[in-house]
Amino acid sequence: MKKALYIFLFTIIALPAMSQVSFVSWQYSMGIGSGDLHSFINPVSFRGFTVNYSKFVKPGVAVGFEAGWNTFYEKKSWDTYTIGNFSYSGKQYRYSNNVPLLFTASYFMNTDENLIPFAGLGIGTMYTEKRTDFGTYSFTNDAWQFAVKPELGIIFKTDGASLSLSTKYYYGFKGGDLPSTNYFTINVGLVFRR
Amino acid sequence: MKRRFFSLLAILSALFLWGCYPEGPVYTEDMDIVITNHNPAYNFAGKGTYAMPDKIVKITGNLQKGDAPVFIPDANAAQIISEIAKNMQSLGWQRVDLSASPDMILTPASLETTTITFYYDYWGWWYGGYPGYGWGYYPPVYASAYSTGTLLMTLLDKNELGANGNPIAQWAGAINGVLTGRFDATRINPLIDKAFGQSSYLSTK
Repeated sequence: MKKALYIFLFTIIALPAMSQVSFVSWQYSMGIGSGDLHSFINPVSFRGFTVNYSKFVKPGVAVGFEAGWNTFYEKKSWDTYTIGNFSYSGKQYRYSNNVPLLFTASYFMNTDENLIPFAGLGIGTMYTEKRTDFGTYSFTNDAWQFAVKPELGIIFKTDGASLSLSTKYYYGFKGGDLPSTNYFTINVGLVFRR
Repeated sequence: MKRRFFSLLAILSALFLWGCYPEGPVYTEDMDIVITNHNPAYNFAGKGTYAMPDKIVKITGNLQKGDAPVFIPDANAAQIISEIAKNMQSLGWQRVDLSASPDMILTPASLETTTITFYYDYWGWWYGGYPGYGWGYYPPVYASAYSTGTLLMTLLDKNELGANGNPIAQWAGAINGVLTGRFDATRINPLIDKAFGQSSYLSTK
């Protein structure tokens, strides 16, 4: 958890070094696990956000960098888990902290209109920390995973900060002791044009 | 200006997430766990009697041969022993005196500890073993890492000896939880029930 926080803070504070900001977006992010993550933690995550910095390199095309953080959590009811000759009973508290750090490219359509659909792709890495607390024991696995992220969204242009709505799919490839980490996100936020 | 903007954005975001980070266990009971283990090659169904002391020894980790063991308060022990006996009876076991040559011996013990991988035979003085000698415990019980209490229950067959000549545990149950400073039978007894409940292979029926 703390490691994820430090990684996120370091990355996002370093962003201005890139300069020539065209726009910055901040989005609240709801996550829906899929694959192994869904098996590990079933509930939807309401804890997450992303920050994106992008610069237009040609009309309608922007490249940039995205940092985010999604925390998945599930409290499992009392249950018994049998492994070999051992049986363990208790409540499990499961966590998955995911910090994607991605280079992004986005294509914006109808940039002169008030409604601007866009599509994007991100590629980079994702720090994933998977933890299970059981009794007074804590079992943690973490890894840096190669990650990609397609995105579809729309921007509602206003005079001030514009509103954005998008959906993303993060795919962190198997890395370290962790299987692939995949989740969808639904994001709402603000876009600050510079 | 841009750096300040990003810093503010980052700090606000981190505070946002930190503020709503899942809190995990709330009550001490949420951290109670029960672990059991057994020797799958051992045939419990062929047995029927067991002996169990009326006290629960407190493992302090440094008992030497000739030292008198420490026990938990009798009133507390009586409630735990009674619950264990009730579960053993429901599995078909008959509790007998140690002098009646029981098929198995059930030795309860408690400890407040850090991680352990084996423990000493605190009941050896009772059934005629060698107090203070480490058991070839099968397999090791791992207890907690900080201020927790553990109730250990072990079923031994004196005829099943390990390489070091000491009895090997054929079944072990460990109940582990955060200590609250007071004995609470309503918290411990259901956990004892669960330990036996998830060990149906102990049945003699």
